[in-house]
Amino acid sequence: MAEQKKKHKKRRTATRAAASIGPMVKEFIAGTVRAQREGAQKLAYSFIVCHHEEILRAMDVLPIWTENFAGVCGAKRDAERFLQRAESLGFSRSLCTYALCGLGFDHWREELGEMPPDAPWGGQARPDFMISTGQILCDPRAKWYQAAQQYMPDVPIYNIDLPYPLYHPDRDHREELPYYHKYIVEELKGLIAFVEEQTGKKMDYERLWERVRLSDKTWNLIEATYDLRSAIPCPMGTGDAMNTMVPINFMMATQDAYDFFLNLKQELEEKIKKKEGVVENEKYRLLWGGGLPSWFALGDFNYFNSKGAVFPAETTYRMVAPIAEMNIPKTDDPVEHLAWRWLGYWTFWYDKARQRKGGEPDVERLINYIERYKIDGVVMHEAFSCRTWHVGLIWQLHQLAKIYKPIPVLRLGKDGNKTQAWRENPSLVLESDIIDITSYSEVDTRNKIDAFIDTLESVAKSRVD
Amino acid sequence: MNGKNSVISSRVEALYRDYGKRAKELKDEGKTLIGYVCSFVPVEMISAAGCIPFRIRGDINEPVTKGDTVLETIVCPFIRSCFDLALKGKYDFLSGIVIPHGCDSMTRSYSTWSYSLDLPYAYFLNIPSVVKPASFEFFAEEIKTYKKTLEAFIGHEITEADISQAIKLHNAYRNKIRTIYDFRKSDPPMVSGVEISKILTVGTSLPVEEANALLDEIIEELKTRSEPPLKTGKRILVDGACVDHAGLVKLIEESGASVVAETTCNGMRDTFPLTDEQEDPFTGLARRYLDKINCPKTYRENRAGSFEGNIADRFGDIGRYAEHFHADGAILYVYKYCDPFGFEVPARKAYYNAIDLPLLWIEDLYSSGTMGQIKTRIQAFLEMIEQ
Repeated sequence: MAEQKKKHKKRRTATRAAASIGPMVKEFIAGTVRAQREGAQKLAYSFIVCHHEEILRAMDVLPIWTENFAGVCGAKRDAERFLQRAESLGFSRSLCTYALCGLGFDHWREELGEMPPDAPWGGQARPDFMISTGQILCDPRAKWYQAAQQYMPDVPIYNIDLPYPLYHPDRDHREELPYYHKYIVEELKGLIAFVEEQTGKKMDYERLWERVRLSDKTWNLIEATYDLRSAIPCPMGTGDAMNTMVPINFMMATQDAYDFFLNLKQELEEKIKKKEGVVENEKYRLLWGGGLPSWFALGDFNYFNSKGAVFPAETTYRMVAPIAEMNIPKTDDPVEHLAWRWLGYWTFWYDKARQRKGGEPDVERLINYIERYKIDGVVMHEAFSCRTWHVGLIWQLHQLAKIYKPIPVLRLGKDGNKTQAWRENPSLVLESDIIDITSYSEVDTRNKIDAFIDTLESVAKSRVD
Repeated sequence: MNGKNSVISSRVEALYRDYGKRAKELKDEGKTLIGYVCSFVPVEMISAAGCIPFRIRGDINEPVTKGDTVLETIVCPFIRSCFDLALKGKYDFLSGIVIPHGCDSMTRSYSTWSYSLDLPYAYFLNIPSVVKPASFEFFAEEIKTYKKTLEAFIGHEITEADISQAIKLHNAYRNKIRTIYDFRKSDPPMVSGVEISKILTVGTSLPVEEANALLDEIIEELKTRSEPPLKTGKRILVDGACVDHAGLVKLIEESGASVVAETTCNGMRDTFPLTDEQEDPFTGLARRYLDKINCPKTYRENRAGSFEGNIADRFGDIGRYAEHFHADGAILYVYKYCDPFGFEVPARKAYYNAIDLPLLWIEDLYSSGTMGQIKTRIQAFLEMIEQ
């Protein structure tokens, strides 16, 4: 493992902003360890995409993003010892490896009473409380901290339920939103009461509003920034976006996250002006259409780049949508606003999907990105240990193939004339895991990429012909 | 009666072997059948709509083939098998499906199910993950939406009286299952685990009135049974997810033990809890399905403040069943890729240890191909608890 770690090279980034993320993450992990030592702030184990960052930040609680720490262990190729420890406790390797890594780490830290030896970036601090979440998104998020309580029985949990209505083509989800909204508001208020009890502080609702407004502003800025990636040549790819996901998912509701995207936007605008792309000779524009990345193999994005392929867009970790298009009802209550935003985000593509016969929101989003970012092919990743983000991807590709057929199709122009167009959009599914490196073969992965590039080349030739 | 005229060895066996046979006949008679997976679907509403709830099962002897072309292999093997059979046309008699928020494998595959099968009715039922006053209120509203969608499908109103009547019928079914379980209390039990497995599977493939009539006949037969079907052996409780086939239990009983209880998704976890008939039907159903069904998917707050107290609260029903049915050991049978159960394995092991009940934990695929290896492990376990 030490040999493997030594050989592993740092991935090249295209933007200065993405390159600045590593030290930033290192600092906020170190910051939680420091905060625990100093005892000034309460620390909470937390999950991303819960729309509760504003509450935590407004109450000066420092979140410990446990998925992030597991990802760091994976990226540093140092997750295996924690995964093995979790297995020795009775957790199957087929379960979410983020959770296994975290549980293995926690068990080790609790056993020693200090950080495990050579813990990545100083290790993960012991929390004062844990906020788990049973949404219709991820079973491990409801089970992970409960399992961790076996080793930390004194650390309390608040489980925040955050459902949203699933898409039904023949039903308007808006009819159900009132009771969903009411429930989510109750859940968020329950969280506030829990945090008040844990911290001994009362919520300052004006301060909460400030945080909520800051997040909303950041969401819109992220949308505007990522839209710039539609430029040809593309100034920033998914490889970098796997870094810039950090401020989106781990720093939301902070001025730092907003400033980060201001800088990134400026950087991308400069690159576009100078026609500076991720690759010198951009041949193929790809969509990362689903699946979490293999954190230990982000260098594969550079390999794509070496073949002239760039990823102007991804669905993974782009956990924002344009606020203005959500039709969020006006309210004086920041908690109500958070609940509406939650529902607005998850139902964002529903109306658009309904407009297409046989449409479905996840597929609709892919189609939208394919058109908006002028995509030539779709790449997905099947991580064996995660059902949350990796079930349904094959079916989505089947649906896409019905639209982007490998035959010429006739398009009706606004002038009423029909023109012939090639819309084939080949796809590639990579297979591995998020942090379990034993599931990964660099040779196999790159052979698959090579074959995919050949396909893209062949399709491109057909289009010209 | 253990002979060829027995209801269990003839009718139950035939319905078990040709699963869906009766459903096909009912479809031909013009009845509407709605398929479902998981214990979380309030089947009462389907019955109240005048339709027939039909539990979709997998087949451990059928390799997953067609299903793998659209559904990932990292999905729970049980759900994959169910989906594969549905895609191959095994359940062509269904007019609709209901899939609940039971786990990620169900939730994330809902689109794949609904679009691939393209049935006239499909509904995803959202189940809260926590048990709090607000979650009961939310769930009761969600059940009302489920009712509305069924009404739109069948074209007429489902009245509260319809629902109350269906609640009574399904409660009666569950009470009859309990009565059958009582025949397991003797040593050796007067009904085998294999027989119970088949009865449980068959019961959820019939209209509730027919199932109740069948159970009545089974109860009468068991009352007159003079010889136990098994010899005295170690008494085993099977714990885990949905075990809708008799294969596992058969292995255990062929190894000289008797299965006396199943805290599984199609066993006591589902069949023992009743809906309160005195409550408003939506509240009653919300309480039964959210609170009384003790599924690992549902998070229960640690009120005890200690790990030991928490596991006693979470798994106490297992201990009570083990005591009630005089279990000598337990087998925790969990499917690979099952996150809700998988993350509970160490805690469940700790609980079994706390109640001093020997435990064998098996992680398996939903396939007859693994049964040989499992048999060896079961035999070793039984030898261990014999000592």
